[in-house]
Amino acid sequence: MQLPSQQVAVLEAASADEGMSVDALAAATDLPPETVTGAVFELETEGLVAVSERVDETVALTDEGRDYVTEGLPEVRLYEAALEAGADADPVSMGRVIGASGLEGGAVDIALSNYARKGYGAIDSGEITADPDADPDADAEANALAALADVEDAPIDSVDVDSDTLESLERRGLLDRHESTVREATLTERAVTELMAGIETAETVGQVTPELLTSGEWEDVEFADYNVEADAEQFEGGNVHILRQTAERVKDTLVGMGFQEMDGPHVDADFWINDCLFMPQDHPARTHWDRFALEQPTHIDELPADLVARVERAHKEGVGEDGEGYHSPWDEDFARALALRGHTTSLSTRYLSGEAVGDLEPPQRYFSVEKVYRNDTLDPTHLLEFFQIEGWVMAEDLSVRDLMGTFEEFYAQFGIEDIQFKPHYNPYTEPSFELFGTHPTTGELVEIGNSGIFREEMLEPLGVDCDVMAWGLALERLLMLMYGFEDIRDIHGTLCDLELLRNTEVTY
Amino acid sequence: MPTVDIDPDELRDLTGHDEKSDEELQEDLFGLGLEFEGRTEDGAFELEFAPDRLDRLSVEGVARSLRYQYGDARGVHVPSPNSPEWTIEVDDSVPDERPYVTGAVVRDVDLDEEGLESLIQLQEKLHATMGRKRAKGAIGIHDLTMLKGRDARSASENESSAERSSANSRAAEPRDSGDEPRASPAADGNPTIQYVGVEPDGDRFVPLDSDREMTPADVLEDHETGRTYADLVSEYERYPAIYDDLGLFSFPPVINGRRTEVSTDSRDLFVEMTGTDQWTIDKMLAIVCYALSARGATLEEVTVEYPDHELVRPDLSMKTKTVAHDRIETILGIGLDPDEVLDLAERSGLEAETEESEDGDLVYEVTIPPYRVDILHPLDVIDDLGRAYGFNELDPRYPDVGTVGGRHERSRLENAARTQLVGQGFEDLLNFHMISEEENYDRLDISPGDDIYGAGEPATIKEPYSEDFTMLRTWVMPSLLMVLERNTHRSYPQHLAEIGFAAAVDESENTGVAESRHVGAVLAHHEAGYEDAKARLQALARNFDVDLETPPTDHPTFIPGRTAAIVIDGEEVGVIGELHPKVLIEHDLEVPVSAFEFDLEALR
Repeated sequence: MQLPSQQVAVLEAASADEGMSVDALAAATDLPPETVTGAVFELETEGLVAVSERVDETVALTDEGRDYVTEGLPEVRLYEAALEAGADADPVSMGRVIGASGLEGGAVDIALSNYARKGYGAIDSGEITADPDADPDADAEANALAALADVEDAPIDSVDVDSDTLESLERRGLLDRHESTVREATLTERAVTELMAGIETAETVGQVTPELLTSGEWEDVEFADYNVEADAEQFEGGNVHILRQTAERVKDTLVGMGFQEMDGPHVDADFWINDCLFMPQDHPARTHWDRFALEQPTHIDELPADLVARVERAHKEGVGEDGEGYHSPWDEDFARALALRGHTTSLSTRYLSGEAVGDLEPPQRYFSVEKVYRNDTLDPTHLLEFFQIEGWVMAEDLSVRDLMGTFEEFYAQFGIEDIQFKPHYNPYTEPSFELFGTHPTTGELVEIGNSGIFREEMLEPLGVDCDVMAWGLALERLLMLMYGFEDIRDIHGTLCDLELLRNTEVTY
Repeated sequence: MPTVDIDPDELRDLTGHDEKSDEELQEDLFGLGLEFEGRTEDGAFELEFAPDRLDRLSVEGVARSLRYQYGDARGVHVPSPNSPEWTIEVDDSVPDERPYVTGAVVRDVDLDEEGLESLIQLQEKLHATMGRKRAKGAIGIHDLTMLKGRDARSASENESSAERSSANSRAAEPRDSGDEPRASPAADGNPTIQYVGVEPDGDRFVPLDSDREMTPADVLEDHETGRTYADLVSEYERYPAIYDDLGLFSFPPVINGRRTEVSTDSRDLFVEMTGTDQWTIDKMLAIVCYALSARGATLEEVTVEYPDHELVRPDLSMKTKTVAHDRIETILGIGLDPDEVLDLAERSGLEAETEESEDGDLVYEVTIPPYRVDILHPLDVIDDLGRAYGFNELDPRYPDVGTVGGRHERSRLENAARTQLVGQGFEDLLNFHMISEEENYDRLDISPGDDIYGAGEPATIKEPYSEDFTMLRTWVMPSLLMVLERNTHRSYPQHLAEIGFAAAVDESENTGVAESRHVGAVLAHHEAGYEDAKARLQALARNFDVDLETPPTDHPTFIPGRTAAIVIDGEEVGVIGELHPKVLIEHDLEVPVSAFEFDLEALR
């Protein structure tokens, strides 16, 4: 019969009379224990060894137990101090004895609770007596500690301590017991017969080597079997951040729908962030959006003068024959103040005005998936910084039906159907709609965005004389809808958990 | 979003729809854009409203809108006020910062507890919205019977008022009313109150919620409401004040006097508003007048006498907007008959008439009631028509507009570099752009303005959320170290990278801030060393076909002798090295870390 070399080695090391543990076989064959285990199981399947399992119990002292080996048991130390103080003759104040014994903290309680139990004397009304006949040298627990001092994980049968003492030591937390399963292999009769008949070693190799390949030997060898079912060590490769993956998917979708990507400053003048959006300077929204104004630097250097004049006129007088402006003051210096953008519509105003890439002729589609900043209260669903998906379409004669159709198309790409439109108010769009979608798993109606057709008071100063419909949405909201994350802070920012980032499901 | 509290029983009363259940009302309100948020302790609906329809800040206004929605009301309704009896005289001494005043008399109000509450809520909500927290417009409502209007002639003889005004006191036309004087006890002719400016300690009165006399300056210091609104007037030389014959009774925009406090027993009211813009306070007044009129009260005009002109208020005049039929159709994306448009307008509480424009196109002359403060442009009328039609009745369609999509170059470059880093085994991170000075500089042993990579001057935030977010990070290394610091319980190696935003003050930029993307990477494991970092940096340089040199340099974040400048295509763009043990200990790290960071732009 032919067997792989490891199996042959194990068979030769094993005995028919006495079981040998895997460790013993490993030592005898000079093979790693996991290889021996594999070989033993293979041989068992072949009917060449019988495998028995036995549970071994071992004992070892705890740290506390080891301390008492050197210091002595607390009750013994108390007894010795009591003898010293003459408590074998007359009761002595306990405080004095304890002081003399050097016991402190929890050790005092331990000493007191074992003192009388073990017959060292009595404690009564704060006084202590010592039994002159007690013999600390005969203390079974102390002796057991001494006996166990030098052994580590000794098999319980091998230690010379009676089981009652072991139990009391364990109860006192001075001793730990461990159980482990030991597999032992014994040769079967068939193995003995086969061995007598002679077993040949089959040529098996562990590794495909260059020599094996070039020499042509590979044709004659057998490859050792692996345990192909076993888990391998955990591998940590790199991953693109899950929020970036989501952003990329959104970008791909929008590019596919004909949108060009915008880029622009995070720190920008209020002019681009708010004034160009026909947001009156005293509108509560300009504070209730809780903007992050900059302390340093404070103001933008230059704004296009003619655009500033047109925007100011729109704010004061409105646009068109029947238009009217806000009955609010307008101040250029206020418009020049710098802030972290509260929405990426500042990019839209820069593009629509021609400031970013020159004048645009309809039709156009533009988008960005970029960070915005709002001084909101931090909680599981709100961050101070988050990504806004901004998009707009510029064309002649756009209607609210086109706006609705664009959304339905976009959100359908993310599995969000049944978009609902709630008429809404924004200072810069009319008509305006809040968008609601149905959560794919919970069935809940959730707000997913805000949209509308830009007002003429906004577009005319920017030099746009056709329609522009626009919308904004928080990327994180989309991510939470898609993944069901509960706390966005696990993902975004320096509080992130690497393990979560390493193991999050990819999106595509 | 702001909320308004509406009692559903009152709503049923005022709309005349007793049969509506709470649920039905909530649904109807949602249709108006008023979202049900919950209930108050008293069981009233808490409704979230978008801050455009300020005429819906009271139960009366909401009921009016519902009646239009139900079809119980159509077109425009304007109450007709009686002719003026009372006059508000505006004195020269009025503070320049708050020159405008308006007012109305409202008679025969029937205020029960709910009515009074609704009036107070309307006043508060108007203050919060149009009134810009009382800065732009402030409302004072008084019990008319407690006012002793003086005859303008006797007023001019009054010594104390002679200081405040006199030259402009109009010789009053004695009013031949015939009737016995109504609520006003002293109205022998033409009862007048005066809007004036007083010295901060120039007079005394008993304010609301107080039982002692105070000067306006005392109020700003010692009265709770006074302290809340002190900032509005504390810079003024003279404080705004309103007088009747008995003295100071209102200190706008801060607080009214206790003498004229309105209660459920009040039958006749004097409503005054002061502010920084006449249009704004007139509109606020129109909204209040409509609400009281809806409760069956009678409006009476008030003459407002400025030094150089005279107004009669409330202003309930209507404005018109010309709306093109074609524009309605393109915005809504549907064809409509003129009759349908007229019908939609009436159902919106507007009135429209068809006309022909100069170009021969069909247009509508649309009349807007005085309480509508939100209609600035014909487009706003179209929005009303769309709501009346029902936007959700419209079929979505994908616009037939052909454009070509594409990515910005910056985002393509960022993406390509990120792909390479992830391929090298880095975990891609996404950190906050806001950080603290301590994290950005101190904990990496550098100082703002140091002539080393990453130590630019900070762009700082005026009112940060907390001390953890006071500036924009000048480099990404601090964020990477914070992530290492918070993940020491996770398995190593930890190879982290971020291609992220960094910013520093730069006067040559238009915004004063230079914004850039940095490529930052850290390698943390037991044998991490300079070579590991350099090998990856070299690979990146090869991938992007740029020329890389790493001459030795000094940087306090890194170990001396194991630090190099990153020079790409001859330009110094970053730093690479092994992090200094000081920095590692500072971040509770027990493994070596090698790192590099440079400007993404260098790979272009």
